[in-house]
Amino acid sequence: MSDGIDIALTVNKTARSVTVPAGETLLETLRERLALTGAKRGCNQGVCGACTVSVDGMPVRGCLSLTANCAGAEIVTIEGMATDGMLGRIQAALEQTGAVQCGFCTSGMVIAAEALLRANPNPDAADVQAGISGNLCRCSGYRTIVDAVLLAAADGRD
Amino acid sequence: MEFHRPTDMGEALRLLAADPEARPLAGGASLVAMMNARLVEPTTLISLAGIDGLSGITEIDGGVLRIGAMTRHRETASDMRLSGGRSVLRRAAGRIANPVVRNMGTIGGSIALADPAADYPAALVCLDAEIVVAGKAGERRIAARDFFTGWYETALEPSEMVVAVLVPKTSAGSVGVYRKLTRVAGDFAIVSIALRLTAENGHCTELQIAVGGSGPAPLRLPQFEEKLIGRPLDDLDAAALGRALAWISDPVDDVRASADYRRRVIPRMVEDAYCRAVARLEARS
Amino acid sequence: MDDGVTSGSVDSSVSVGRSVLRLETREKLTGAAKYIADLSRPNMLHAAILGSPHAHARILGYDTTAARAVPGVHAVLTGADFPDGRMGAFVKDEPPIAQEKVRYIGEPVAVVAADDEATARRAAQLIDVEYEELPAVVTPEDALAENAALVHENLADYFMVYDAIRYGNVLSETTLSEGDVEKGFAEADIVVEGEFETPAQAHVAIEPCGALAEIDDAGRVTLWSANQSVFRVQANVCESLKLPMSKLRSLTPRIGGGFGNKMEAHVQPLVVQLAIVTRRPVKLILSREEDFETVRVRHPFKIRMRTGAKKDGTLVARDTEVILDGGAYGDDSPGVLGYSLLMSRGPYAIPHARAHGRLVYTNKIRSGAFRGFGNPQMQFAGETQIDEIATKLGIDPIEIRLRNALRGEGPWFLGQKLASNGFVECLERLRDDEGWMNRKAAAPKPGKKRGFGVAAGAHISGLLGTGAIVRLLEDGTVVLNTGAVDIGQGSDTVLAQICAEALKIPLDRVAVASPDTDGSPYNWGTTASRVTFTTGRSVALAAAEVETQVKALAADMLECAAEDLELRPGGFVGIKGVPDKQLPLFVVSLQAHWRRGGPIIGHHSWVFDRPAVDPKRAIATGMPFRQIGVYSFAAQAVEIEIDDVTGKTDVMKVWSAVDVGRAINPASVEGQMDGGFVQGLGFALTEEVVFDQGRIVNPSLMDYKVPTALDVPHAMKTIIVEAREPDGPFGAKGVGEIGLVPTPAAIANAIADAIKARLRRLPMTPERALDAMLPPEDVDAS
Repeated sequence: MSDGIDIALTVNKTARSVTVPAGETLLETLRERLALTGAKRGCNQGVCGACTVSVDGMPVRGCLSLTANCAGAEIVTIEGMATDGMLGRIQAALEQTGAVQCGFCTSGMVIAAEALLRANPNPDAADVQAGISGNLCRCSGYRTIVDAVLLAAADGRD
Repeated sequence: MEFHRPTDMGEALRLLAADPEARPLAGGASLVAMMNARLVEPTTLISLAGIDGLSGITEIDGGVLRIGAMTRHRETASDMRLSGGRSVLRRAAGRIANPVVRNMGTIGGSIALADPAADYPAALVCLDAEIVVAGKAGERRIAARDFFTGWYETALEPSEMVVAVLVPKTSAGSVGVYRKLTRVAGDFAIVSIALRLTAENGHCTELQIAVGGSGPAPLRLPQFEEKLIGRPLDDLDAAALGRALAWISDPVDDVRASADYRRRVIPRMVEDAYCRAVARLEARS
Repeated sequence: MDDGVTSGSVDSSVSVGRSVLRLETREKLTGAAKYIADLSRPNMLHAAILGSPHAHARILGYDTTAARAVPGVHAVLTGADFPDGRMGAFVKDEPPIAQEKVRYIGEPVAVVAADDEATARRAAQLIDVEYEELPAVVTPEDALAENAALVHENLADYFMVYDAIRYGNVLSETTLSEGDVEKGFAEADIVVEGEFETPAQAHVAIEPCGALAEIDDAGRVTLWSANQSVFRVQANVCESLKLPMSKLRSLTPRIGGGFGNKMEAHVQPLVVQLAIVTRRPVKLILSREEDFETVRVRHPFKIRMRTGAKKDGTLVARDTEVILDGGAYGDDSPGVLGYSLLMSRGPYAIPHARAHGRLVYTNKIRSGAFRGFGNPQMQFAGETQIDEIATKLGIDPIEIRLRNALRGEGPWFLGQKLASNGFVECLERLRDDEGWMNRKAAAPKPGKKRGFGVAAGAHISGLLGTGAIVRLLEDGTVVLNTGAVDIGQGSDTVLAQICAEALKIPLDRVAVASPDTDGSPYNWGTTASRVTFTTGRSVALAAAEVETQVKALAADMLECAAEDLELRPGGFVGIKGVPDKQLPLFVVSLQAHWRRGGPIIGHHSWVFDRPAVDPKRAIATGMPFRQIGVYSFAAQAVEIEIDDVTGKTDVMKVWSAVDVGRAINPASVEGQMDGGFVQGLGFALTEEVVFDQGRIVNPSLMDYKVPTALDVPHAMKTIIVEAREPDGPFGAKGVGEIGLVPTPAAIANAIADAIKARLRRLPMTPERALDAMLPPEDVDAS
């Protein structure tokens, strides 16, 4: 079992199989094997959040998840967040508030914020700040990102 | 490196015993980060994800809550059965890192690593919790205060694994406070205080205080706590207990703060945590 | 969202003044945007570096046998395999890789190319380098000591781009003065004096540095890299590798933030040399730890400052003495020293001022450009002292600044006249803001001390060359080519807005070409808050050139004089006063292709050329710049709460009034102010690169803490002031850096308001605040 583990998983609703070494992270698999480069390597230590992806409906760090441990998992990455060219609610709101600057944190931020709204459809600003506190952004100062999540929540209530 | 995903504990323990460089893989939040940084290079990884019954919180005999080793921080942070004095643990879990990491990290993985600045150790020592560990010889229970033995050191034998944490019932009417000082949100603690308090007719009947981030293992002074029992709540010198805890502390100078500051802030935070607990008691009555 | 209506003179604005959506937002939102780590080429190799374990050591030899033996390794290069060129913006002192000796811990000494990153990293660790340790100078004090070990023995021989005063480990010494500072202090009723210290701050762009180089069969190299200037990359690589510049084409993918870190070289020379040796594409992406340890940091400053004032609060004298820790290589440091001294008087009319500074080499990672370029450090001292004077004299902090503000033409310290100056308006708008006026309406949280603090500042936009090419294509659409790298701050959009406005065409008809040293006009870089101002001006003037040519051709077609023609919104040129006499631009452009053999192209290049120093007013020696740029202004106020128990500071609210000349894109202005403020908040409260004998103790995001969303206020307000700059495009000036220039001082002043004690050292940790809060007898309570 040391030279490669066969893993079948679903990525953005498509069934994929990969053969990976035991220590390969999900982030590496997505980026290097599946050419899904939306999730980023910012620190490889789980701190920055740029690699955040959804595994079985839960946002996790791609860099701290081993692909070998993801057999059968349903993975959603930023590439799966827009459907037929229609942005997801968080993406659309980030666009509206002008929150995207360099964009390097954006993929992870979208995944984390989407999970936050699913868990709490009516957050206040403090809830949003807490919800995205594991995703570092060095450009925006967070204000417009928080506003975007609040906006997406408000749109959901309409 | 080999990767195994056993479906029962016996198999996991066999694999662990077979390779001294094997590491159990729980949530991965710490282990994979260390592997990425090449701080550890295990030759065998034993994923615990496939073992039934390791995850979740259940009530067992005597109202004890059994928290499976694979229970994520998110679950522990939101389980309202951890109320009253036991809310210390819930509150501590809710202060670990951030929501995404709380989806990954597990109580077993965290305490097995035993980072002295982590959140669980002080909370578990405060709650007189027990750690259930399994090895070749079967299961044994270790009191939390005996489990954390040093900097990243525990009472676990090399071929043992954490199976669960047992959190005993706390007295009716008790309250819990978890006070944590960090540089930024989600960081490891500079100092953390886990405190529970019970009172009757305005007098303290129980007080348990554990301090984290201030030495190789959580600090606690049960004999000193005893001396405060019976004191009126508004005339209880929690800071004196805090000063004693600071006196026995052995903090480090690191990038988070100096040892001197940690010693200085312990009594202040202890007193503050006590005041919050009293306020919580008063709010309830 | 802002409707774009401003007090300006631009009628029927089509783009300028509107918070239009960033051009590249969609690709970033969907994960499609490609950053350096996302690029791949056929047959590409992956590289890894080996860093020095010593702060200062002679390299005696290398043994690369074991590394070369690793399967999958294609090249192992050490200093011996690189040309002995030297690079540097101000002083050519830096080799492409350590040669002969190492000067800081982490400095690359060898580099490996292999089939994959893991193999390259493993092999790099197998390289054996033999060192002879040398005495290291790890603080400026060490470096300035008598008989100190020299970081650069050959400093005197290095080529420098300005007339530097240099000796020993002092790379640059600069002195500026105006008036008679001793006379000024003699006239003062009150003098405050203090020592201030600021630490190294790490940029922490969320994208780590990286580069990818590919060589073609003719030996020409194409280089993609995370950068802030394709031209500085080209110059640095070619200088250090002794490569003809014509042999290197420098390009840029999307950039995941820069803040100064990506302005000068990082790993580009390493990958280019690997590509040349292996004849294959090579990519190198730094780990976060390597990014911390090998790129650059904000300069640690030690500042000794004295400020004198009259009883009525009139400032009369300021004397400033600074030492900058430059680290092992010059990089942008001489500029940071000269610029920070130029900022030492702040935006105030202090008649007597003197500033003297030394920039010192040490055996640490190089210091370099970082948003603010020495100004936040300097204002931390200057704005603290003004606050101290105001407190001592019982004057309101905004009032004292108004009383001393540079008004009208100024001039700035050393004599440059200000063509636009909205400083007073910034102060007044801040003072009159409703939220600020009602700031004490709600009580602070229990267990907290509340404080309010004000600070101000000014920052240039300008410096060095810039250009633009505007091409009007056959269908009436436009390609704008400037060579300016959008590092995420939004300059592509702003420049397109300027172009669209100038040509009165819809924004979606303007496409922005990606910077390319082969085809773009020269652009010094995305730095110095300069792109909107300098490049934007070039865009406006290049578009004006297009307008001239369009009118010349249209005049022929419409049989009228060119002077009688005007551009009309929507992409038309027509005869003034005759609404139905007009041609769509595409018709004119088609004619240009048919009759003149190609598209109408407007080109403009420019450099800001007003001198910084008026020799009749001031004396400046060792000044690295002749000209600087125009001034943007800001006044900032914060509300903080400080925890009684721990001394931890939380920033609750911030108000910033900023004079940007003209907000081309108001949302982007706010974005720069928000982001700048938060980076300043980190600098003020939580961030410090900690060194132990030259080794970085905290080179990871685990241990180096930047603010999270929970550590910053959601209440951030930007008040936009528009004092039109005559040289700027549609009146615009820069806003990239000024958001954090006053921030550490504003927070420090708020802390002083709360605890009645001054903190003069950053970061203002709970520990430092508690020390200041507690009476001395409490300190040893344990």
